Amino acid sequence: MTHPKISAQNVDVRYGDTVAIKDVSVDIAPNTVTAFIGPSGCGKSTFLRCLNRMNDTIDICQVTGDIRIDGEDIFDRNVDPVQLRAKVGMVFQKPNPFPKSIFDNVAYGPKIHGLARNKVDMAKIVENALRKAALWSEVKDRLHSPGTGLSGGQQQRLCIARAIATAPEVLLMDEPCSALDPIATGQIEELINDLRQNFCVVIVTHSMQQAARISQKTAFFHLGSLVEYGDTDQIFTMPNDPRTESYITGRIG
Amino acid sequence: MTLRTQSLLVRDDRTRRRNAAERRFRTYGRCAVGIVALALTVLLVTVVTNGASAFRQTFITLNIPLPEAKLDKTGTRNPAVMAKVTTLGYAPVLRDALVQQLADLGIKTALSDKETGKMISKEAVATVRDQVLANPDLVGTILTIDLLVEGRIDGYFKGRVTMESAALDGNTSPDALQIAQSLADLGVIKTRFNWRFLTAPDASDQRPEAAGLGVAILGSLYMMTVVLVLALPIGVAASIYLEEFTPKNRLSDLIEVNISNLAAVPSIVFGILGLAIFINFAGFKQSSPLVGGLVLTLMTLPTIIISTRAALKAVPMSIRDAALGVGASKMQSVFHHVLPLAAPGILTGTIIGLAQALGETAPLLLIGMVAFVREYPAVYNDTAGLFGEAATALPVQVFNWTQRADPGFAERASGAIITLLVFLAIMNIAAVLLRRRFERRW
Repeated sequence: MTHPKISAQNVDVRYGDTVAIKDVSVDIAPNTVTAFIGPSGCGKSTFLRCLNRMNDTIDICQVTGDIRIDGEDIFDRNVDPVQLRAKVGMVFQKPNPFPKSIFDNVAYGPKIHGLARNKVDMAKIVENALRKAALWSEVKDRLHSPGTGLSGGQQQRLCIARAIATAPEVLLMDEPCSALDPIATGQIEELINDLRQNFCVVIVTHSMQQAARISQKTAFFHLGSLVEYGDTDQIFTMPNDPRTESYITGRIG
Repeated sequence: MTLRTQSLLVRDDRTRRRNAAERRFRTYGRCAVGIVALALTVLLVTVVTNGASAFRQTFITLNIPLPEAKLDKTGTRNPAVMAKVTTLGYAPVLRDALVQQLADLGIKTALSDKETGKMISKEAVATVRDQVLANPDLVGTILTIDLLVEGRIDGYFKGRVTMESAALDGNTSPDALQIAQSLADLGVIKTRFNWRFLTAPDASDQRPEAAGLGVAILGSLYMMTVVLVLALPIGVAASIYLEEFTPKNRLSDLIEVNISNLAAVPSIVFGILGLAIFINFAGFKQSSPLVGGLVLTLMTLPTIIISTRAALKAVPMSIRDAALGVGASKMQSVFHHVLPLAAPGILTGTIIGLAQALGETAPLLLIGMVAFVREYPAVYNDTAGLFGEAATALPVQVFNWTQRADPGFAERASGAIITLLVFLAIMNIAAVLLRRRFERRW
């Protein structure tokens, strides 16, 4: 295996007195899609939010352990979470476009990070991001109408465009298709497959078919622990752990 | 359990009881709304019927010969010299003019000249004197001018004073009313809209007809400026910090509880605080809009903080997540995304706080804004500083007028209440409009 993009060792997360995640160690490879599966409340979203330190915003949340991106400790005192999040983009479960125009939604990240030198540059970045998110053809004539006026699937692709506009190296997706219909889901899955060329994608999903369709690696979480992690084919065809087998065959979860 | 099949066309007991309960509740609700509506209607009708007349005033058109012998003995037409003739010197001039005018119009009267002179407001003398001093060349000519009539004559034309009540009143008589009626029939006395009620300063106990709200409106305006300039930025900054930046712990809980408690502190306590701190300790001028504004700022802050925090809380977490997710800093996420979405709520809260402050009386009494002020306060002057000149405020003026003996002031007080209510209504409408405007953005 090549050098891992993200390497997490012995990660524990506590909300006050409740332990949400215990002793999770995962190495995530570059240019792959890694899926986190498991029943609700098993800690997969919590773990995902550790990877770009979104849990910092929750006062009672305590993360211990070691997470490295490209070998750099993200909890180091010298790391500013703002820079980290520019490098590790995130797409949330519910589409959450800003109540601004489609253009401004995508342009916001590049603007605050100073990625565009002028308006032409910015227009190019926005167009590129929207093209990568497979949304360009649908919105190119109404870039200045509100992003909240799009359909659910379009909004989620807008959020993906917004996330990739800042040119991150890792893209975290927290159940990005849970609010979408099968057609929109199909479009997003295709998109994730394309994104693999440029990014390392980590996706949390409840749909095992989805995990099987789009990911190369799968991690199964159960009650806060990482039960099994391996190649997707292997996890779905011959899991090592009986709990994994029960879950993917629908007996627990 | 057996399944009873019952016709849908027959209502069972439970359904009947439930429907009856619902009907009863609806009736209670209607009663409650009715009581509120009734109370509001009674309030408005009383205030308007009592106060609407304050906006109209009775004037008499007098032709006044201005004799040089009395008003400018030296003949120099120098205002500085002419100022030696006080209002006492002008009183006979006006009295004689009225007596002469009655004679010219052929109105017979049993009143003595002195009693006839009393029909003109005491304010009128000063009006004429000011005119003459402003334009000395008027001396020797005949000045035609609209002057205020005395309060009870004015009351007669507004229906407050009748022949019967005048007979029992030492300050007027049925004869005087008779003359006034004749003059009105000839068009010499007229009742018309009175801008002076909104612009003139307060007047002494003897002259309700001259009293106006000018100083009070200015004072209230200055105080609202102080409140807006101080309370809005401080309140919004405090709420943003408390809501978005402080960690949730004992200390922030304590602060939160105390701010809520502060909102419930009786306003008069803020008055005592203002007296102790701003006047006795800091040495600001008493009766000044600056001190009034500072006290009202303290009072308004909790209102603004509470409503701003509520508005910030109402912005969905997902927006903050989205901003943080693309790498915005905490402050960028607040100022670029959360604050614009909370703006309508913040504005509404601020305007409601201002409206509360506008109607507040008790703390202003303690810091001396209840004083009798005739001079329009300037925004700035060198000795008193910014907003340092004595002023009153609208609600205090209402309080003040209701304390006076002359029934003319009761009408003025109701008129002032109407003015206050109009200002409050304007502010509330502004709140609604601003809210709509900001919400319509998307």
